[in-house]
Formats: sequence, structure tokens, C-alpha cells
Amino acid sequence: MRIFDPHVHMTSRTTDDYEAMAAAGVRAVVEPSFWLGQPRTSPGSFADYFDALIGWEPFRAGQFGIRHFATIALNPKEANDPRCREVLELVPRYLDKDAVVAVGEIGYDSMTPLEDLAFAAQLALAVEYDLPALVHTPHRDKVRGTQRSLDVVKESGIDPGRVVIDHLNEVTVELVRDTGCWLGFSIYPDTKMSPPRMVELLRRHGTERMLVNSAADWGRSDPLLTRRTGEAMLAAGFSDDDVDRVLWRNPVEFYGASGRLDLSDADAPADFAGNSIKRGGA
Amino acid sequence: MNLRFGYGTNGFANHRLSDTLAVLADLGYDGVALTLDHHHLDPYAPGLARRVSGLATRLIELGLSVVVETGARYLLDPRRKHAPTLLHDEREVRLDFLLRAVSIASDLGAEAVSCWSGVRPPSVDPQLAWDRLVDGCARLTEAASKAGVPVGFEPEPGMFVQDLAGWRALHRALGMPRAFGLTLDIGHCRCLEPEPVADCVTAAAPWLVNVQIEDMRRGVHEHLEFGEGEIDFPPVLRALADAGYRGLVGVELPRHSHAAPEVARRSLTFLRAAAGQSGGADRTAATAGQRAPGQRRPAGAVPAPEALRAALATVDDGGWLDEALRRVAADPSVISRLFPAAARRCGRAELGVPGWTADEAARAVLLATLPADRAAVQARALYRHGDAAEKRAVLRALPLLPLGASAVELLHDAIRTNDTRLVAAALGPYAAHLDPAAWRQAVVKCVFMGIPLTCVDDLDHRADSELAAMLAGIADERHAAGRELPADAAALLARLKAEKGI
Repeated sequence: MRIFDPHVHMTSRTTDDYEAMAAAGVRAVVEPSFWLGQPRTSPGSFADYFDALIGWEPFRAGQFGIRHFATIALNPKEANDPRCREVLELVPRYLDKDAVVAVGEIGYDSMTPLEDLAFAAQLALAVEYDLPALVHTPHRDKVRGTQRSLDVVKESGIDPGRVVIDHLNEVTVELVRDTGCWLGFSIYPDTKMSPPRMVELLRRHGTERMLVNSAADWGRSDPLLTRRTGEAMLAAGFSDDDVDRVLWRNPVEFYGASGRLDLSDADAPADFAGNSIKRGGA
Repeated sequence: MNLRFGYGTNGFANHRLSDTLAVLADLGYDGVALTLDHHHLDPYAPGLARRVSGLATRLIELGLSVVVETGARYLLDPRRKHAPTLLHDEREVRLDFLLRAVSIASDLGAEAVSCWSGVRPPSVDPQLAWDRLVDGCARLTEAASKAGVPVGFEPEPGMFVQDLAGWRALHRALGMPRAFGLTLDIGHCRCLEPEPVADCVTAAAPWLVNVQIEDMRRGVHEHLEFGEGEIDFPPVLRALADAGYRGLVGVELPRHSHAAPEVARRSLTFLRAAAGQSGGADRTAATAGQRAPGQRRPAGAVPAPEALRAALATVDDGGWLDEALRRVAADPSVISRLFPAAARRCGRAELGVPGWTADEAARAVLLATLPADRAAVQARALYRHGDAAEKRAVLRALPLLPLGASAVELLHDAIRTNDTRLVAAALGPYAAHLDPAAWRQAVVKCVFMGIPLTCVDDLDHRADSELAAMLAGIADERHAAGRELPADAAALLARLKAEKGI
């Protein structure tokens, strides 16, 4: 089973996770820039974080044969902090980078006017830089937040086929199914979606434009739930080809629209004559 | 050695062009450097198309190749030698002539069109002269590119661009277009270049489209017959052959027209003899082997930006790099968006230059195109805001740029990381600017991180007893843990112990 996790925050995971993911068949990941749990207080913190997403983290992933890509944006939660607003001026510079394959995560947290501004401005950047967009849907007031996100996407003029609406569930899936946008589902141990519920949604709505991710971060989460979902699909009678479509070909198609998804050596061992991480040398 | 010799028609000023060609073909020359002049294919006289067509046929019949030269003395102005040039107020007259020369060259199937800057008129200040030269060359190169004939721009002693350094500056200002090459006069190298003549040839090789040859003395710009000057020709011809130069090597003796047939005969005899001294290759190898540590690096350790640009000619980028270099030359600030895009546009394939990939080479030539006063600021900014591959490309380009030691803090930053790609790139030739303590720490870090020591430039020369002591310390720790030093570090330690008597 080859797996492309289209949404996972590897910065907060250990090398044990990388090792287990590689063993489970994960060959490529996209790490969206997001909140870090602890609020940041200046644009400089974001610059260092973005630099890590296109510098150190891909190197770390490479030690385990995993290709690492990123999406860059000012996230909706911190868009509300006036100390962080200048981050919007930093973002464009990163959108030129080879491994940046989308603008994200953008969208709503509390649906404030400041979130409106950041969301619209960054959708415009996605159009300008010819990149897909990754839209986070809020945890609170999710149905209205999802509907409003779709409205903003429509107003922006971006091709809906280049947008994924993420963190969907049984309640919000219908809102997005016929919009032309891609549908993202985060599989969590307790909250959001579980593998059996995901299988049920795939049975009901098919595999087209469906993206399954672990969204693993520093909270209680599991980067192997992509694999568990694939296994649950097989157990429920889906074919190997269905699983490959959902866990590999769909994310490759979605992020491939950036023109920057270079998977040419995704199967080669990324080893530089030994390294400091696996050996614990440095 | 398989060089092709030619002779300049400006050395046959008292002959008809048709007679000149017949004499040269009879003597056994492979080609002719045709200086367009009032008596040799006058580009302003009637019936040009018919005359060009007739000449093209005649060259084929005689088996002669041709390059077109534009250095006639009184073709454009009967009173002022060489005037107007691209630097004069009436520069459009010169440009019109050069564009005619490109058309003629194209119709003749010429290998190149050669030209020079001219002497700067006292009334034109240097900045204006430079701007005019860049503009004129840009327009000429565009036309030459469309016509499929390369421009061979010739540095000429006493003129505004008089040496290879000047040619390089002009080349960069133009954005290093493929159609803008170099006409190298071997005698001029002896006259005023700081490097030995053969080294000039090797350094200039990637851009050579035309070569002129004659003897000369240091500091005296006088074209002399072979044997009358100071040049040792066999190594020079060997350097041309070794560089794979396939164009004409044309004798340039414009003041010998009074005895042209005899001078042409003697010249070819001399050149053939000089080229036949095939012992040159062995001598070169022996000399290289004896090079003491710390001497000038063998050519190739730090490739010239021009060499990287030439190697990139094999990359199919749809003309992206040409356009990018042109844009950076016109406005240095646009490099901030072109630099990150270079890998997507040029790919990451290995090039003919050992150790260089297309993305890093493209980024290096983009940096090298910047004016000298912008290179340091931009290198710092591109490193600061670059992803790991961009940072690495900046590090690798540092020794190619006019920076002195000013960018050494970038090496410190890279060596602080735990990214093997960056640490390795920081220990290239630019690491000569690291102080000994920082350099030793970086070498030992390589050992820790498993980076092959082959990435450390000048290691054999620079390794000292202090480094040996640090390596011995790691060896002890490793031994205590039941592990060994990597083989390359162990070999270095053993050698240092033997040499330094530790």
C-alpha cells in the first residue's frame, strides 16, 4: 500500500513516527503550516517556522525515504492577532519555493472580520501564484463555517478543482460534494473522523475528489490512521485500486496541480552516506 | 592535434579578395578571416547580394571556412580611424554596419562575426560609454542569435574593453546570452593579460568562437610574425586542442601586406610545426603533478560562471535561463523570484562540469550576473530566505562571486545546521575564509555526521596537528563505544600522525 498523507504536521512528531510511517507505506507527506499550540507573538517566529518547513523538516523526512512538501499561509486563528498580521507580507516569498505545493491552511476559526481579510487575501495569492488552496473548516459552528468558506472560495474566482475543503464529516460532506472542490477528511483517534466512518462515507459518496489524511500534530493523533483507513476499506470490500486512488493518486492529482510535486525519487533511499539523526551522532 | 588554421584578409590589403582566397587555399589554409572593407566585399557598394552569393560559392569551391571581421580602419569614416564606434554619438552608424555584417555572415555560412568596442572618445564619460556598449552589443547579439551566427567580441589593447576581465564584465552585463561569444587574440594575451597565455586560452575556452594568432611582446601591442615575439606557441596550441576548440585559428598580421603571400606561407609552416610538438601533453601532466600545496588551484576546482553557463547549454529550459539572465542584468532585484524557480525550470540533472547539477549551476550564473556591488547583498538575502537547495546553491556560488571574505558568516550559519547538504557545501573553496578554529570544528562535524571528507576543499594542505588531536579524541570515544572512525577520517588521522610526529 503506497500512501501520500496530504495533511500531517510532522514538525511535532518524532523520528519514531517517521520510521513507523515509512514502514506502513507512507512515501510522501504534505505539511500545512498552522498554529503551534503556543501562540506566536511576532512575524519572526513565523519566518523561522516557514523556513523549517522548507529546510530542516524535508531533510528529516528524507532520512526515512519520505518526500516532504509544505503549504504556507497565515492560519485563521492567528490572523486575529494584530502582532502577526505582517505575516501576510512574508507569505508570497515562500509561495515561490519548489516544495510549497499549495496555499494553506487558510479559512475560518471564529469567523471574524480579520479572518475574512486573511482568507480572501490568501485565496488571491493562490490565484496569483497559480497554486492550489487548502481550506481548514472550523471546529465550532462547523456547518455555517463550511458554507461561508464555500461562498468565499466562489467569490475569489479560484477554480474549485484547485481547492480542498478539509476536516469534513457526515454533517458537512453534502455541502461540498457538488461544488467541484476536493473533500478532505482528517482521521483522528477520538474526534473528527474514524476509519469505519470514513469507509462508510466512501461507500456513500465514491472515491472521486476524496482525500484522507491523519492531520497528526502535537495533540492526541495517530499518523498511521491513513494506513488503518486503507485496511478498513479493503476489509469492507473496496479493491486495492480504490485504496490506491484514495491514498495515493488523489493527493498526487490535487497537489500535482501546483506543477511542483516532484516525486521522481520517492522510492529511492534518501541517505547521505549516513546521517546525524538515525545514528544520534550529533 | 587537429586545429584549423586561417589567415586574415586584412593582411592581404594589396590583393583582390578573389586572389587572396586562391593564394590561401593553395598554401593549405583551412579558412579565412574576412575583414569587410571598401576593397573586400564592400557592404555599402551596389550588388551586395550577388557578390555575397558569388563569394559563398567560391569559398565552397576552395574548401575554405570563413569568419567575418569588422575592424576595417576607414570604411565608415574616411578621416577618423575606426570611427564611429558603438561608443560615439553616431553609434547607430556602427550598429547598422555590424547588423549588415551579421546578415552577410549568415549568407556566407560564417562561423562567427567578430567585433570590438573601439577606443572611448574623450567627450564620452565612462558610464555613458558602458551603457552605449551594452545596448549596442545587446541589439547586435539579438540579431546574431536570430541569424544563427555567434558574435565574437574581441578585447583589444587600448580600446574601452581591452582584456578578458572587461569581456567578462560585458558578458555578465548582457545576461550571458549564448550568441555572445569571445574572439581571443593570442598575441593580446601575451601583451596584457595577467595569466600565462595558455591559461588564458583554457579559462576562455567555453566562450571561444574565434581565435586570432600572431607573436607579441609583453606590453607592446604590435602584431609580429611568429618567432619575433615572446610567445611559446606549442603549449598555447595544445590548450586550444585540449579545450576542444573547433573554430578557426586565424593569423592576424595586418601590417605585413607588402609581403603577404610569403608571410602567409611561413606562418602556416610555423603553426603546423608548433602544433606537431605533441610532447606538450606529457609536460602538462608532469607539471600538474608537481604542483605544490597552496599554489593556484588546477583549473576546474572552481569553474568560471562562463563554464557553468556553457555547460547549461545542454539543458532544455525553453530559453528560460537566457531570459532570466537578461532580466537580472537589467534589474538585479528580480533575482529574488527567479532564483527559487531555477530548479523547476532547468531541472536537477548532472552537468558536464564535475560536481555541478543544473539547478545549482543555473543559480550560480544568476548570482554571477549581478553587478559586483549587488552580489554580496543579494547572496545574503537569497541565502536567508532560501529553502535548503537555494541555500546550498548560494554556498556553492560564493567562490565564483566578487565578494572577498565578506560572506563568511553564511558559512558559519550553514555549519551550525544539522543538514548534511549545507554543511558539506560550506566546506568548498570559499571555506578558505574560515579561521582555523572554525574550519577544524567544521571538519570534525563532518566526521560526526558521516559526510565524506572529499567535500572538504584543500583538506590535505590545511589539516594540522590540532585537527589531528581532535580526530584522535573522537577515535578514542568511538573506540570506547565499540565503534570506529569512518575510513576516510581514520586514514587522515593516520597520515597526520605520521607527518606531524604525534
